Amino acid sequence: MLSATNVTKRYGKTTVLDAASLAIEPGMVTAVIGANGAGKSTLIKSVVGLIRFEGSITINGMDVARDGRRAREMVGYVPQDPAFHSDLTVSETAHFYANLRRLPATRALAAIETAGLEAHAGKKAGALSGGMRQRLALAIAQLADPPVLVLDEPAAGLDVSARLDLRRLVAEQRTAGKAILLSTHWLEDVPYVADNALVLDQGKTVYAGPATGLSAASAAGSKLFLRLNGHSPEAMTLLERMPAAGSIARSGDWVVVSCAATDKARMVEALVGAGIGILDFRVEEASVDAAVLHLQSLRGNLS
Amino acid sequence: MNEVLILARKEMRDAVASGWLVVFAATFAAVAMLLSHIQADSGSLGDQGFNRTTAGLINLCLLLVPLLALILGAGAIAGERDRGTLATLLSQPVSPLQVLFGKYVGLTLAVWGAIAAGFGLAGAFMVMFSSLSDIEHYLMFVLLSGLLASAMLSLGILVSVFAGSRVKALGIAVVLWFVLVLAYDLGAIGLALAVSPSGRTLVAVALLNPAESTRLLAIMSIERDLDVLGPLGAYLTDRVGTAASRGLLLAAIAAWTAAPLAIAARGFSRQDA
Repeated sequence: MLSATNVTKRYGKTTVLDAASLAIEPGMVTAVIGANGAGKSTLIKSVVGLIRFEGSITINGMDVARDGRRAREMVGYVPQDPAFHSDLTVSETAHFYANLRRLPATRALAAIETAGLEAHAGKKAGALSGGMRQRLALAIAQLADPPVLVLDEPAAGLDVSARLDLRRLVAEQRTAGKAILLSTHWLEDVPYVADNALVLDQGKTVYAGPATGLSAASAAGSKLFLRLNGHSPEAMTLLERMPAAGSIARSGDWVVVSCAATDKARMVEALVGAGIGILDFRVEEASVDAAVLHLQSLRGNLS
Repeated sequence: MNEVLILARKEMRDAVASGWLVVFAATFAAVAMLLSHIQADSGSLGDQGFNRTTAGLINLCLLLVPLLALILGAGAIAGERDRGTLATLLSQPVSPLQVLFGKYVGLTLAVWGAIAAGFGLAGAFMVMFSSLSDIEHYLMFVLLSGLLASAMLSLGILVSVFAGSRVKALGIAVVLWFVLVLAYDLGAIGLALAVSPSGRTLVAVALLNPAESTRLLAIMSIERDLDVLGPLGAYLTDRVGTAASRGLLLAAIAAWTAAPLAIAARGFSRQDA
């Protein structure tokens, strides 16, 4: 459905995206991951045809560079920071974009309702909060029920509840058979929403494959903070014997263990099994920077 | 509805909502009415019908229409880019050319509407004080003002495409207006005094500025007296005849409309959003 091959973007002598490739089939989600400036938005904008690029991108066989207008008929796009004409109301905005796609007015009304914006239909787009603008952007992206959704950092600026809604929406659209490309710098979102992942660092691809393969990338990055019931020395001795545990340290009342995201529960089970009570705990997921560094080191070891 | 027309309708709505056009039409109508009222008081209007007022409006029109059109054109693309709405627009199934032409058509219709409203109000007022004699010259001047607006909008859109931001685009538009409308005559006079240019050079000087071409066309339409036409007008009518001169000047205005728009379209379709 969506295929990108060796997509490269240069500004003068600076290459901001270097030969990125991906393929997304209907009902699949690919997450583009990377820190700020990694090239995520450049790839996303190339896919939508907003910027010129080298390489090839096709959507359902349509070449984005040569026939962008027809390719975009099959794409719903949510930009990182959605912007609308501030003097138009939510309803007028939806009607304007429905008109551009030659859709009946009923589709605009339905999209507003689906996005839960009917109470704000008469409000000027310029007066919407960031979250509501995001919802309006999602509504407009889905106006024509396109087979491809392209979401640029859709979770940015959203609160926890909105992020969960977004995950639900992505899951629904995937079930409905949409091919979805989304960018994020929230690594912890990826296993919940994506089938495949493309990790970019300074424009270069450092990982392309199943999203589950990224758990290795966060191996050394996740941290488990444990507040124990006066048994810290025993706990540390126990944890040191576990191969899955990385570094172990004390920080005030807390014992801090670094481990793979998938091993966290095993650590807790082992402590409880040994009769060491846990008063409190929290988890710090690996940052995308840490994951990228880890992937780079793996790539360096392989080459 | 065709995408260009949808975008044009939106642009027209924005232009009207901005208030610029209303201010322009009101100012223009007010000055025209004042002018015709003064002329009616002095007793000169009755003899000359619309001609006196039309002649009086030429300079006002040559000042205001280019300023309005250049500013509106300059904000068209650069404004959307600054607000981030250009990317939203171009992510839809529309081509950059459709967006550019939609904006141009919308702005042109909006400015023509404002010109028609300004001249219409003034014309209706004048009918109360004078006969309808020479009204065709007045209507011709309305048409010429529209053509000048189209050319200046085209230039404004060219600026808008290549300027980095709206503020920069507006700044360049004001400088262009100053050069084409205010400084150009002085420059031409300076050139004439300094190098005694040939008649052909003078014609080139007129054709290189749509405001100057419009001014000459307007004067030719109202008054064929060679003294009023000035040395350039006299040279033109003497060498190529009145009809051919009009054709040449109209072609110059048409070229000033088409060429900047074509360059803007080419540049815009190659730009990143």
